[in-house]
Amino acid sequence: MIANTRLFWVLSGFFLVASIAYTIWSYVYYADAPSELQNELGIEWVGSIGLLLSSTLAALIAFYLGRLHKAQGAELPEDRLDSNIDDGDAEQGFFSPWSWWPIVLAAGASLLFVGIAVGVWIAFIGAGLTVIALVGWMFEYYRGNFAR
Amino acid sequence: MFFAGLFAIYFTLRSTSPEVWSQDSALLNIPFALVNTTILVLSSVTCQFGVFAAERLQPRATGWKISQWGMVEWFFLTYAMGAIFVTGQIFEYAELVHEGLTLASSSYGSAFYLTTGFHGLHVTGGLIAFLIVIATAFSVKNFGHKEATRAIVVSYYWHFVDVVWIGLFLVIYVLK
Repeated sequence: MIANTRLFWVLSGFFLVASIAYTIWSYVYYADAPSELQNELGIEWVGSIGLLLSSTLAALIAFYLGRLHKAQGAELPEDRLDSNIDDGDAEQGFFSPWSWWPIVLAAGASLLFVGIAVGVWIAFIGAGLTVIALVGWMFEYYRGNFAR
Repeated sequence: MFFAGLFAIYFTLRSTSPEVWSQDSALLNIPFALVNTTILVLSSVTCQFGVFAAERLQPRATGWKISQWGMVEWFFLTYAMGAIFVTGQIFEYAELVHEGLTLASSSYGSAFYLTTGFHGLHVTGGLIAFLIVIATAFSVKNFGHKEATRAIVVSYYWHFVDVVWIGLFLVIYVLK
């Protein structure tokens, strides 16, 4: 995790330097550009701001990973030299083996949008079916045989 | 990305017809929108307290004090504040339509209703998500990590929608 954090800090710094370099470079280059391509300040804003935002976003991920690393309390197995492969065998989460609800939800959403395009009364049926499908899907493992 | 596209629409139309902008944006009721914005931002705070309760695996209140509130109470409060925001937005739309600003009246109207309208739809979706989280908290005997994770994920969505609104508010109501 430390490696990931540092990689993103490096990326952030790189994009910051690149943004500054790009701004200066475009400023110098613009002096020779045809007049219809020039603006008052002589800076090409799209690239400068794009690179600056890349730097900010990389810093955001680096900060987040850093906080996550501090909060997790111990080193992950993949960060330790003395761990085995099966130490990283974490819980993968819960996956439904099968469910019909996504199809119902898709049908509901389709009817909803067909209704908006063709005739509004169909949209009400679609909205109702969408609500039923959403609740049905969300509560599939909360009721009946699977209730906890 | 979707909202970035909407912002792009707004700025492009604004740069091509600045006189429509200065004329139509004068119709906006800034103090009202500021109050509405404050309610939405505060709802993010109450939502986060709900997440803290969920991380304590405490679905419901253990007493009357606010510090004893569970996730359900905090999320109901968040839901109410989000609903007030949407209601306020509908009220604002009604006022603006009354003053002649509609989706079809000008490019400003189109940009305004598209950006704020799609944000309103996202808020409404978040409200439905809060209801589902609250309902699952009531339907389990043991509030576990699965339910807590669901609450946390919904809170991420809520904060995101809140941040988008702060951006929209700054661009539409402050910059004009």
